[in-house]
Amino acid sequence: MAVNLLYHQSTFRLEDEMSQIEIAKKDPRQFAPLYKKYHEAIFRYIYKRVDDEEAAYDITSCVFVKALASLPKYEFRGVPFSSWLFRIAKSELYQSFRDKKAQRTVSLDSVTIVQFIDELNEDFSEEQRTILLNSLRLLKENQLQLIEMRFFEKRSFKEIGDIVGLTENNAKVKTFRALVKLKEIFNKSKS
Amino acid sequence: MIKILVNRAIPNSEKIKNRQDFDLILKKRNQISSKNILPWYFGVIGLASFIVAIMTILL
Repeated sequence: MAVNLLYHQSTFRLEDEMSQIEIAKKDPRQFAPLYKKYHEAIFRYIYKRVDDEEAAYDITSCVFVKALASLPKYEFRGVPFSSWLFRIAKSELYQSFRDKKAQRTVSLDSVTIVQFIDELNEDFSEEQRTILLNSLRLLKENQLQLIEMRFFEKRSFKEIGDIVGLTENNAKVKTFRALVKLKEIFNKSKS
Repeated sequence: MIKILVNRAIPNSEKIKNRQDFDLILKKRNQISSKNILPWYFGVIGLASFIVAIMTILL
C-alpha cells in the first residue's frame, strides 16, 4: 500500500508545521506555505468526487477560505493538520452536492477495477466490471466513501478515521462492513 | 445518481499549481471576517444611536 507522505510526516516536520500554523494564526498572510503544500492534495481529493474540473477548483478555493477563517480555532488534538483540511474538504464537497453545484462522482482507473474485483474474490471480465460499477451506485454514501478512500485511494485506516471522525479500529470495522455489503449487492446483481 | 468515470484524465501537478491563487483566498477570507464584524458593530452603533435619540427627546 502506497504511503501518503503528506499524512505520514516525521515528528520534526509535524512540529515545524505546528509552528507555521501558530504564525499563520497571528498573520493570515503566513498561511501561504501551508496553502502551497496542501493545495494539490485537496484538489485531487475533490476532483475525484466531482464531474467538473472547474467546480473542483472552486470547491478547493472554498476549502482554503474556510480553513483560513477557522484557523484561530485549530488546535492539535491528535488529528494532523492535513486531516483537518480533508474534513473541511469533505464538508464543502457535500455542501456543493446539496447546492447542486457539482455532481457526486466516483473516479476509477482500469487497474483499480481489476484489483478490486480480485478483492471481491472474483475473476475479472467485462460483465463483472459492469456489475461492480452498478453495485457501487447502490451503496450508501458513508459506505461508498470508505470503500473509495481505502481501496481506490489506498489510504491507511488511521487516515480514513481522522478524515471521517472515527477511531482507526472503527474505520477498519466499518470499511470491512462496507465491503461485505458491496459483495452482497454484487452477488445479488450477478444472480 | 452517482456518476462513475473510468480512466478519466487527471490534471498534472503543473496545471494544478498554476491555478493556485493565495491572494484570492486572503481576499475572500477578509470578506468573511468583515461580514462577521458587521452585525455586532452595527448592533452596538444602532443601540447607542437609539439611546441618544431617546435621551434627546426626553431632555
